[in-house]
Amino acid sequence: MEEVDRILIHSLKQAGTDIDEDVQSVKQFSSELIVEAVVRCLRVIDPGLGSGLSPTLPPGMSARFRLGMSLAQACQDLGYKGEIGYQTFLYSNEPEIRSLLMFLVEKLPRESAEASDQPAGKSVLLQKAIAAQIKAQLALPWLPPSCRLPLHRKTQSPGLCHSFRAQPLSLPYSQKASTKKQAKEVKEYWREHLVPVTSQPSHRASILASLLENHVSELSAAQEWENEWNSQGLLSRLTPEDYRSRKRARLQKRIEEQLRAAAQPRPDTHGTTRSTSDLAELLNSFGGTTTGGDVLTKGTRFTHAEKFTFTQEPEKAAQQMAAAASALPSSHQSEEDLKAQQEAELSGLQQQLQQLSVQMEEVGGDIRQLTVSIHQVSDELKQRELSNSEKEDTVRVKKQTIDLLPDAENNLVKLQSLVEASAKRVVHLAAQWEKHRAPLIDEHRRLKELCSNREMESSRKLSEIKDLHDKIRQSAEEAKKKEGLYKQLITEYETLPKDVSRSAYTMRILEIVSNIKKQKEEITKILSDTKDLQKEINGLTGKLDRTFAVTDELVFKDAKKDESVRKSYKYLAALHENCTQLIQTIEDTGTIMREIRDLEEQIETENGKKTVSNLEKILEDYKAIRQENSALAAKIRDG
Amino acid sequence: MIKLLEKITPTESLKFLHRVVDGLCGRSYPRRIEYGEAWSLTEFGELTNSLSKFFTVAVGRKCSDQEVQELLGDLDSAHAAVVLQCVHARQEEIRLSLVDRTNGISSTQLQDFNWQIKLALSSDKLSSLNTPLLNLSLDMKENGLQRAVNIEMNKEELQTLISALEAANKVVLQLK
Repeated sequence: MEEVDRILIHSLKQAGTDIDEDVQSVKQFSSELIVEAVVRCLRVIDPGLGSGLSPTLPPGMSARFRLGMSLAQACQDLGYKGEIGYQTFLYSNEPEIRSLLMFLVEKLPRESAEASDQPAGKSVLLQKAIAAQIKAQLALPWLPPSCRLPLHRKTQSPGLCHSFRAQPLSLPYSQKASTKKQAKEVKEYWREHLVPVTSQPSHRASILASLLENHVSELSAAQEWENEWNSQGLLSRLTPEDYRSRKRARLQKRIEEQLRAAAQPRPDTHGTTRSTSDLAELLNSFGGTTTGGDVLTKGTRFTHAEKFTFTQEPEKAAQQMAAAASALPSSHQSEEDLKAQQEAELSGLQQQLQQLSVQMEEVGGDIRQLTVSIHQVSDELKQRELSNSEKEDTVRVKKQTIDLLPDAENNLVKLQSLVEASAKRVVHLAAQWEKHRAPLIDEHRRLKELCSNREMESSRKLSEIKDLHDKIRQSAEEAKKKEGLYKQLITEYETLPKDVSRSAYTMRILEIVSNIKKQKEEITKILSDTKDLQKEINGLTGKLDRTFAVTDELVFKDAKKDESVRKSYKYLAALHENCTQLIQTIEDTGTIMREIRDLEEQIETENGKKTVSNLEKILEDYKAIRQENSALAAKIRDG
Repeated sequence: MIKLLEKITPTESLKFLHRVVDGLCGRSYPRRIEYGEAWSLTEFGELTNSLSKFFTVAVGRKCSDQEVQELLGDLDSAHAAVVLQCVHARQEEIRLSLVDRTNGISSTQLQDFNWQIKLALSSDKLSSLNTPLLNLSLDMKENGLQRAVNIEMNKEELQTLISALEAANKVVLQLK
């Protein structure tokens, strides 16, 4: 009972009852303590039910009575089956109180136990971690900035102040500047003047933001285009460029229409006419530029530029040449002479070079032509050779037939016999082929069947393997879950208060269980002993009855003849009767003894109920109530 | 005004021009300190302004080379060639930035946005709140003035905002 009491007291303490350290068992509970414990438990179990009850006993006797009644009612509402009334609380006896408290403690909600049955979600763990972190940070004392260690700087510095703001970047090979051929100037710009992307934004802090922004915009544009192309573009069966240009034209038309509709000149307002006409002009220009595709203008510009750069240099050279030529006759100094000579030589050489290169090109063209013609000729040659060989074959056949012509009849017969022989051979061969074919086909069929069997088996095995894989995955997941649960439970177990030693309880429980087992064994042994005894007794009584009957008969027969035998018969009958009486008496004694033991037990339990003290208490309380009543009556009389 | 460009050599001026285009495209303009010896403050301002205008016009109207030359006026040929090269090199980029500007045709535009997610663990009344909150800050340009708008939203409000934006996006897609 001590163990039970300790567990009860521990649970009651957790429910909020204030129990002194020296109270060790339910026997020591006073009425006040009982009432408090019950009320606290009721409040935890059902706040609506317990809130109307006060945990302290009131001083007035009638109020006490009422509280006892309402407590008993509440316990019955909760489903308590035992006998309960105001007397349970006010005039307590140990076993009743114990059973009541056990019932209440069992009814206490076990949220924590239920909650820990399932693995907590990730969010709960995260929140726990955040809460722990914040708690740790709050525990650190604040330090002025100059005294902070690197450890504190992380948590106590004001953090990043600048905002996350993006700026446009200039990147080569991006999506915006598409992959079409770039002009020379653009390439030069990329090579010479484009600063690295890390130094492009004006603030260092916005590098990351700008890069992310750039990337995201390009990515989303690419995705959108892909979506559109897959959903609509492919259906239109156009090339991407065509589709784009068509879409652009459609959009421009639409915008134009919208603007035109918005810019309809209204007759009632004069001020707007001018602006609308401006808008109309703008629209015209808009339409003009749209129809003339910017690709075209761009193309012309580039061709212009090319022409410009390529034609300018020869002109310049020619001008210089002319200048040099005019300068030649006017100067007679040797140096100038030499220079002029050299220049003339240079120009001559350049001309020669140009001539040579022109010649080279001509010759190259000739060579190309010639190689092409060679190819053609060789092709022709091959064809001719082929036809030649064919013709030769036909000629040979014809020649043979011509040779055979003179002795035509003989040859005909010979030919016929040859033909017949070959026909026979063919038939023979076919028969042989059939002979070989039948077993081969059978073999083929057999193999095919085998193959299909194998295939079926393999597919079956495959499905089995798949099932196994599924199972493995499931079990792995389950194992993971269980592991998580285990870890969580371990941490929770570590955080649990250690005042209740579980192992002691389990040891005790195991001990009790083994004791009970032993007792059960003993009981069964005793029961079997009793049964044996009963059997023996029955056997003996039967034997006795039989022997008595036999003896009785024998003696009765002789008794008619002999007087002394008659006497002994009488004695026998008396002896039998006495013995029966004796046995009856012994049995009666046994039952009476049992009754006595029962009664003694009853007396003990009645003694345990503190009847005398309770009766005294009841008497006192009765007196108190009478006093109260008389006081109240006096008050009424006075009033 | 563009004639002021002749105060530095063509190679230097090419670099300078690229920086001006950078500024036009939303990055930083060249700093005056670096060119303090060449121009005074007013000269520098006028030069950058007129160069920006020139680039806008030259790319916006899709001028041919000759028209560009005419726009440049009496700039000497070496510098003019450099300017032309710069225009050719940066044409696409300038065009994109101009398109961007044209897109912002309405009186109020969204320039940039930023968001932060916060988890309110508890409040003054509740010990455990655990409500995620989104802090959305929008950088608006209203009639040429910068204005920052900060909104704090809980989950439901954010859902409403997102559904409204999705509906708007659907309308835009239908326009396409």
